[in-house]
Amino acid sequence: MIDRVALERGQMGQMVTIRLRPNEDLVEGIELACREAGISHGIVRSAVGSLVDACLTYGDGIQKRVQGPGVEILTLSGEVRPDGKGNLRADLSGTISNPAAEVYGGRFQRGENPICITLELALQEWVPE
Amino acid sequence: MRQPIRHLRQPGPTQYPRRLSASGAVAADLRLVLAPGSDLLSEIVERLGAIEIRHGAITILSGTLDELSYLTGQPDHSGHRVATYGAPTKLIGPVTLLGGNGILGLDQQGQALLHCHAIFADAKGRLHGGHLPPGACRIGSGGAVALVSAFDGAGFVVKPDPETNFSIFHPHLLSNPETKESIS
Repeated sequence: MIDRVALERGQMGQMVTIRLRPNEDLVEGIELACREAGISHGIVRSAVGSLVDACLTYGDGIQKRVQGPGVEILTLSGEVRPDGKGNLRADLSGTISNPAAEVYGGRFQRGENPICITLELALQEWVPE
Repeated sequence: MRQPIRHLRQPGPTQYPRRLSASGAVAADLRLVLAPGSDLLSEIVERLGAIEIRHGAITILSGTLDELSYLTGQPDHSGHRVATYGAPTKLIGPVTLLGGNGILGLDQQGQALLHCHAIFADAKGRLHGGHLPPGACRIGSGGAVALVSAFDGAGFVVKPDPETNFSIFHPHLLSNPETKESIS
């Protein structure tokens, strides 16, 4: 959540290659993978994978459920950072397509986007000054 | 009533760890411009292979396609897998690429393989998106541009996954693959 304008200087660090196995949650799984890899700040550089079903949010808190299985993740963008309590939080947005080849976009809802077959993720560390 | 989150039972035994990772570095960042008439995925693989890059993260920045076929997922009722690809959807251009993510790594024969999903608009502006198979996306007159971050030290290689019955990319340490992969 952005509550003030901020300019953070830093530089890109190590590149981490990650796979999430089936039924791992997209958001929580990436947070855990970062913690396990020793990354406190990370930026999604590329991701390819699929979800059992998807839950996206947009607008004023609207949730859109998209039924699979085999919801394709078309694009993924976002970052992982610690919240005010030091817990890693992933903020992820992107686009998906369902089995009927319909396309949707929005923010991925925590805990409601289980991986179907795999997520292949290239996540690069962000090292704040 | 809110629906519970659905988890699927995979055909094979559950594999551990549930999250795999391998840490490396970015060897180089490259902007790759692709010529009209060539196949999108094959051209990316060939151009990068020519400069010895076989591991990387690909972001499609822009482009047009004269034609393409793409795949979307669907349930696999055979029980062999929980999901598979459906019949290809074919589009005749001009198709406008809106974005795409790709992972470049090695297949089981040690050859470079690009796994790519993308979103695009057809000639009437309708949105489409899915898995792009190699040999199915002919670049149009506008060309295409991709951003490449080549990996050093860690990448992806295809390995059999007995849980899902797919052979798919797994993180892999390029320098010493036997000892340093993360156990999560």
